[in-house]
Amino acid sequence: MFEFVVSGIVAPIFLLVFVGFTVGTVGGFIGVGGGYMVTPALIVFGFPGYMASGIDMTHIAGKALVSTVRHRQLGNIDWTLALSMVAGTMLGVELGVRVLVYFKHLGISGVVLLITSVVVMFGLFLYTQVETRRAHRQAEAMAREGRKVGREIQTSRLPQIFQNIPLFPIVRCSTARIVVSMWVIVLIGIVTGFLAGFLGVGGGFVRVPALVYLVGASTHIAVGTDLVEIVVSGGYGALRHSIEGHVDMMAVLFMICGALFGAQFGSIATAYVRGPAIRYILSYSLILATLGAVLRLLYVLTGQTLEVLALLAVMLTLGEMIFLCLFIISLVVFAVRHKHGKSVPPWVPALVVS
Amino acid sequence: MVKFVFWALVAVALFTVAWRSYSTGQMAAWYYYRASADGFAVNATYFVNATVEAPALLEVGAFERIEGLQAVPVKAGDRLPANANGLILTSVLEEGKRARLEGEAIVVTQPWKIAESKGFKYKDTFKHKGVQTYPWAAAWNVAMTLGIGLALGFMAEGFTDLLGIKLEKIRHFEGH
Repeated sequence: MFEFVVSGIVAPIFLLVFVGFTVGTVGGFIGVGGGYMVTPALIVFGFPGYMASGIDMTHIAGKALVSTVRHRQLGNIDWTLALSMVAGTMLGVELGVRVLVYFKHLGISGVVLLITSVVVMFGLFLYTQVETRRAHRQAEAMAREGRKVGREIQTSRLPQIFQNIPLFPIVRCSTARIVVSMWVIVLIGIVTGFLAGFLGVGGGFVRVPALVYLVGASTHIAVGTDLVEIVVSGGYGALRHSIEGHVDMMAVLFMICGALFGAQFGSIATAYVRGPAIRYILSYSLILATLGAVLRLLYVLTGQTLEVLALLAVMLTLGEMIFLCLFIISLVVFAVRHKHGKSVPPWVPALVVS
Repeated sequence: MVKFVFWALVAVALFTVAWRSYSTGQMAAWYYYRASADGFAVNATYFVNATVEAPALLEVGAFERIEGLQAVPVKAGDRLPANANGLILTSVLEEGKRARLEGEAIVVTQPWKIAESKGFKYKDTFKHKGVQTYPWAAAWNVAMTLGIGLALGFMAEGFTDLLGIKLEKIRHFEGH
């Protein structure tokens, strides 16, 4: 147990390290900050709500940097894409926060926030799930025909539409092998940033699908590039929370210690899988987060009287972290087994690199 | 080897600085409660039973820490004394319905509600609680977090190099 004097609570260190590890693993693998998972966990540990979100945002910036260093080594970052997007993302975040404040003045921010979360996350889950299943089937068919299956299989036609927009200046992203109008990247940054600012999250769960399905980046590059965005937007968020006094640095540091191992594992695990495997994990994290948001929405709509709904939402979020972490670990184990010619479930070979 | 040792030393040095700053109370001192308006800083828990028939009398003075029925005059933006959990606004005293100033004392006839955050409820998550820190302390927090993140990232990279684990760049477009 450790006394967090700034937060004014006593909490066990190992739980913070554990949360840092699990969220680091998931974040390093699918390129999200994991704010929607960490804040409820910290509240359960006894941190006040406002302090939990500040600690979460600050730890996300540090953890994303740990992952970024490893993704850089793996060649998963397109710096041109990342830096072109940063300005749009920051502008979008600021716009999102201002709209949120407007809804708060109207007194309906809670319900609007939750409904938007549910619609956005469920929509993204549906699209990601359908497209990834199609890509998975295509990879299996290619393997059956004896054709070489590449690292990335993507069946969406949306990137072609966006890449054909002829607005000057045109940017050449050499790592991602994309030629696209700068305005497309900036606009996607603004929209994803807006959703991030409005929903009060890092925005990785919106930005990674946007980079894959709209810009046309491969999933691995989308993950690495998004983590660079998270370092910038998380650092800005951390600064704002710190100015408000919502950050307990010792809690942040304990979580980063756990994230050191988790982020390494999650980032390195991407080298063992194909793009659709990452998108599957992303879509499962989206549907689980949607369920959590639905429970919280029901709780709000029932006049915040059914405490069991709020409790269930928290339990679901905590369970989600562990489930996704175990899923990633099992994928790596299957990849290693498959590489050594050992038996694996039939759905695995098309998702892992042998 | 050199890479791992160098970045490990940087990470340990940063952790030591943060730990020392936290354990000596230096970091906690950067956080303080700030008055949001002109009025009197009080601890409302001491007069929860105040009524018109049995009002609470708060002694006004420049106390460093509020102990019991005491009140400290503050201006908007001033640092609140220790143990204060609320403000009685000057406008409320002028109105005189809930509390009024009588000489060197404040007479409270109606208690203030003390709102506490509840564990599982999210409604207080982003609510401003009146706690603020010095701007340079916020910059220090972010710099420290990013510095440690960077040091740990390169330390881990150095560690896998040390173990002889060759992590090559992913061939994203192989087979296309």
